[in-house]
Amino acid sequence: MSKDTLMKWIVTLVAVSMLLTAAPGCSAPAPKVAGNYIEGDVSGGEAETLNWILAADASSFGYVGYTLESLAGYDNKFNIVLRCLAKDIEVSPDGLVYTITIRPDLKWSDGSQVTSDDYVYTMNNLMFSSWLNYNYKDDWQEVVDGVKQYVVPAVVDNTTFTVTRKSVQPEFVYTLYDLMPYPKYIAVKYEGNVDAFTQAKEFNNLSYTGNLGPYTFKEWLKNDKFVLSRNPAFFLGKENGAPFFQEMVIKMFGTSAVMQAALEAGDITQCGIEPQNVAKFKKMERINVYTIPTRGYNIISYNQRDNGWEGLRKKEVRQAISMAIDKDTIVKKIYLGFAEPAYSFIPSSSPWYSDDTVLKLGVAPLNSKQQAIEMLKAAGYKYGKNGDRDVLLDKDGKPVKLLLVTTPGSDVVESMSLLIKQELAAIGIDVEVKWVQWATLIRQYMANKVPGSSQEARYNNGPGAVSEETWDLTLMGHSTDPLAPSGSRVFFASDGGLNSFGFFNDKVDALFAKIRSKEGLDKEDRRTMYQELSRVISEEQPVDFITYSRGNNGFQSNVKGIEPGINMGYNYYLWHFE
Amino acid sequence: MRSYIIKRLLYSVIIAWGILTITFILLRVGPTSPVDRYILNIAAKGQDVESVRQAIEARYGLDKPIIEQYLLYMGNLLQGKWGWSFSASQPVMELIGSHWIYSFQLILLATIFAIILGVGLGILSAVNQNTKIDYATSIFSFIGISIPGFWLGLMLILVFAVYLGVFKTFYDTSYPIWSLENLRQLIMPVLALGTGELAGYVRYTRSAMLDNLRKEFVTTARAKGLSERTVIGKHVLRNAVLPLVTIIMFDLGSIVFGGAYLTEIVFGIPGLGQVSFNAIFANDYAVVIAVTLIGTFMVLFINLATDLIYTYLDPRIRYD
Amino acid sequence: MTELKPGQGGRSRIPLRISHRLWGYYWERLQKNRLSLVGLGFIGFLVLTGIFGPLLVQDPQKTDFNILNLPPLGFSIQESIYDIKTNEITTTMIEGRPEHPLGTDSKGRDMLAMLVSGARISLLVGLLATGIAIFLGTFLGVLSAFLGGWVDNALMRFTDIMMTFPFFLLLVLIVFIFGPSLAIIVLVIGLTGWTGAARLIRSEALSLRTRDFITASKALGASDTRVIFNHLIPNVSSLIIVMASLSIPGVIMAEASLSFIGLGDPMSTSWGTILNTGQHSLDSAWWVAVEPGIMLFLTVLSFNFFGDGLRDAFDPKASV
Repeated sequence: MSKDTLMKWIVTLVAVSMLLTAAPGCSAPAPKVAGNYIEGDVSGGEAETLNWILAADASSFGYVGYTLESLAGYDNKFNIVLRCLAKDIEVSPDGLVYTITIRPDLKWSDGSQVTSDDYVYTMNNLMFSSWLNYNYKDDWQEVVDGVKQYVVPAVVDNTTFTVTRKSVQPEFVYTLYDLMPYPKYIAVKYEGNVDAFTQAKEFNNLSYTGNLGPYTFKEWLKNDKFVLSRNPAFFLGKENGAPFFQEMVIKMFGTSAVMQAALEAGDITQCGIEPQNVAKFKKMERINVYTIPTRGYNIISYNQRDNGWEGLRKKEVRQAISMAIDKDTIVKKIYLGFAEPAYSFIPSSSPWYSDDTVLKLGVAPLNSKQQAIEMLKAAGYKYGKNGDRDVLLDKDGKPVKLLLVTTPGSDVVESMSLLIKQELAAIGIDVEVKWVQWATLIRQYMANKVPGSSQEARYNNGPGAVSEETWDLTLMGHSTDPLAPSGSRVFFASDGGLNSFGFFNDKVDALFAKIRSKEGLDKEDRRTMYQELSRVISEEQPVDFITYSRGNNGFQSNVKGIEPGINMGYNYYLWHFE
Repeated sequence: MRSYIIKRLLYSVIIAWGILTITFILLRVGPTSPVDRYILNIAAKGQDVESVRQAIEARYGLDKPIIEQYLLYMGNLLQGKWGWSFSASQPVMELIGSHWIYSFQLILLATIFAIILGVGLGILSAVNQNTKIDYATSIFSFIGISIPGFWLGLMLILVFAVYLGVFKTFYDTSYPIWSLENLRQLIMPVLALGTGELAGYVRYTRSAMLDNLRKEFVTTARAKGLSERTVIGKHVLRNAVLPLVTIIMFDLGSIVFGGAYLTEIVFGIPGLGQVSFNAIFANDYAVVIAVTLIGTFMVLFINLATDLIYTYLDPRIRYD
Repeated sequence: MTELKPGQGGRSRIPLRISHRLWGYYWERLQKNRLSLVGLGFIGFLVLTGIFGPLLVQDPQKTDFNILNLPPLGFSIQESIYDIKTNEITTTMIEGRPEHPLGTDSKGRDMLAMLVSGARISLLVGLLATGIAIFLGTFLGVLSAFLGGWVDNALMRFTDIMMTFPFFLLLVLIVFIFGPSLAIIVLVIGLTGWTGAARLIRSEALSLRTRDFITASKALGASDTRVIFNHLIPNVSSLIIVMASLSIPGVIMAEASLSFIGLGDPMSTSWGTILNTGQHSLDSAWWVAVEPGIMLFLTVLSFNFFGDGLRDAFDPKASV
């Protein structure tokens, strides 16, 4: 940890403790264990499995996380918070060897110690195995001399192990922080048999988690509730008695309307609140509403492949369209203020964000419809009359009509696509909105292959490949990693696996490669590279980055210990009822 | 009689097999994949989506030729293995075992409610034929069969939960099944589900009663000087019950994955309907087939039971 | 009325095509049932709305973000907006406006325009799917009755399977797998809903086949096709009409249910899809869930009234 971040960490701590004690008439008595904490969630957000190594969704890791801590986490300022780690991971000066030291007091349910051997076993025999097919194995692989291979873990002693790479990837350390162990003494029973491993009771009931999490698994009624009990042995609770809730419950609701009604009635402790209801809950004394940044953003992809409108292959045209779509209007009308304009895949909450280098299209002063029209004209397109409207004409003199494909089901996406239609009508571009199911969108619009070839359809089969159906724009929600944004290369690099819109740019490729190399090892250098990358991306506009949404979370006001922020839950085990 | 039942049972198995096969084919020839839902998440973490898809499909045996998958499934089924639900990470039977009670209590209560009130109103309507009571009941039953159950549920929530706050807006599984609170919170779902059935029973009871009231044995009974109460209760009603049994049984069979499912959605009841529909959206074929089969067997069993009840109620009917 | 009683058993009807006078008779009988006239009137109004309505109202998909959740004319709601920049809450009364008499939804779409579009979709789906189902049912029923033998056997076994299939589950399964579009929804409902019709027509045809006029025309050398089209179909036509009018509400309800659970055609606005939106804003904009439900209810009610009257008119026995 640098001196700088350490200072920030201390300042935050002081500020928080002042906040906690500054409450009038409150002398901060020691929290008592009491009550059940019930978190509301909307169906569809439910986890897939507790056998997390098999999970493909994000919720599964969240569910398991209550019972099993990872090596480290982050606070709201992205400062590292040690969990199973005894001290921060040491990286060798050449950036190739990572030395990990875990706490000595970690125990499995049978009382045996969690050792570095469990971690190394989990990697070597489970995550890196071919019989299990870990979904996120790409994170643990590197390309050396054109061959994909796994990083190499090794046991040093009972609580220390190393992970060795052959190539430098400065952001690999964040992958390590998320590492969780499987108990070797149980896993060996199922090794090599994927069916037995999948169906293993111990893993699906999380009955091995010992003192590794603030809670232990109790019950899971699918589509209804996930119930955890307080774990009195939790390794971080020895001094302060944490956690302070008898039970932690995740309750599923069919709609957010019903969920918010439950919060209002006091039936649940916390849930997300939709923008239009924030005022209502802010007025209630029993409810505290915290507005926090999220990792989610929305983009309009411009189809730059051969089956999209040819204009979209020109940078100037993409810029003009992005300019015409006013982000402030979207923030104001659709999010009612609870969002911020996006300019690249690096959000302003990220430590790598640079406000000065990005081109802020779609935000005043670069939100002029007139200027957008001028840019389209400068790019060689003419305007003509269609009835009494001025419309943009393509090269053959026909009015330009763009097909926007998106999926139904999300209110925000639906509203946004309708708003975009109106915005582009103002610069003489007719947009037809087509709603298709997600399965259709990915198969017929995103997947592509070179026509006539024997290629298997993938989401990026390189230049020359096109999708089955023609399209011009798609609108969808993505999420980014503010700490390691270079993961977004999957969308924007020429060989990115989800670069379905066909954006091929050498400069961008080079920058992604540079960040993930020895040159990115120094944080300041990496910052400069990210600055350059977001500048190029915001200029090239392979997609129109629209907004980063802010989440609103409503809590019963008797819940104490919350620190609002992007990683608000980082200290959840310290939360308690008044 | 015995050979008749055996024959029927055999026939049921054949029908169930047909349904199983159709479901299996439908599920596996479609273009959707269980991995679809996770693509963005996998991609957001920088993974190659296609290789993840292949890995997951291989893990659940979905990459094999469909005929091989079918034979494998059938083989397991014959050994009594219902398979593993990969969307719920649970054995299929365990999943069904923990959810069926929520559907069952709802359907049971709704049916009892509908039968008691429906038959009662139907009798009332028939004995007061062409009076104001009759007309009012008749209009009510028309309204009842025409009102969409799920909408009625929404309206009940809107009025009694959102505006009046008498009930919770959702079904709370933390109450034990055998508790008064649980019974109380089932009032709205039972109303939403039962009203349509109730209205149907009113109509059937009324017309069956009227049919029988015109028959000779009624005249005879009345001529013998029996009280009107005995005539209606003993003679008319008994004969009117027969067609009603069919209707009720038929309703029971069709309600589970129809009206009950929508009611479950509206009130957030985690019953079998929800389980099966979530499984459809997750391409979890083992669960879909299992619940389809359960539904099928229920209908077949109910059909058989209806026939047998018939022979009991009306000794003139014989099956050979 | 007894002098006009057609046929012997009372279950068969006089061919409509032959007797024009009979139409007048049926119409007269229908007129006596006031409720069915009310139903017919409302259906007529819906048909007109479906045909001409869309010309009179704005585009149902048009959004206006300045008028989100506008209540219907004559109602007002309190709306609080929190300003994240100034940290202030402003509360305003929002009143219904004459240009949106039925209010707007959470995307500022005009409720009236959406309801009109929904009327069109509901009728379209109701008529087309019923048409397909009745056509298929009649065809297969007649075929089965006339060909007999293994064809009859196979067809009836298949009918058994289809009848036992949990109907709504099958619907959801197919629509999910092949993607929700109006065409798919109509086809699926049509292709699965023919079983009842097939059975009824088959038994009707079987009983007709043995009757004198058919035996006579066969003896005179009429081909099977001729017998079917000249005698059989006309003879079951009134039955077909009644069946169609009584099954339309079920079809409309099925489409609405599908749309309600999110499997409606995303490109068109049906009552079910509005209800789905309404369910999500039940706490903030009640009218979005109330209005389409009322339309759905009235439509189904009208078809039930009308179908009931029609059945009574065609069936002299059921004069109660």
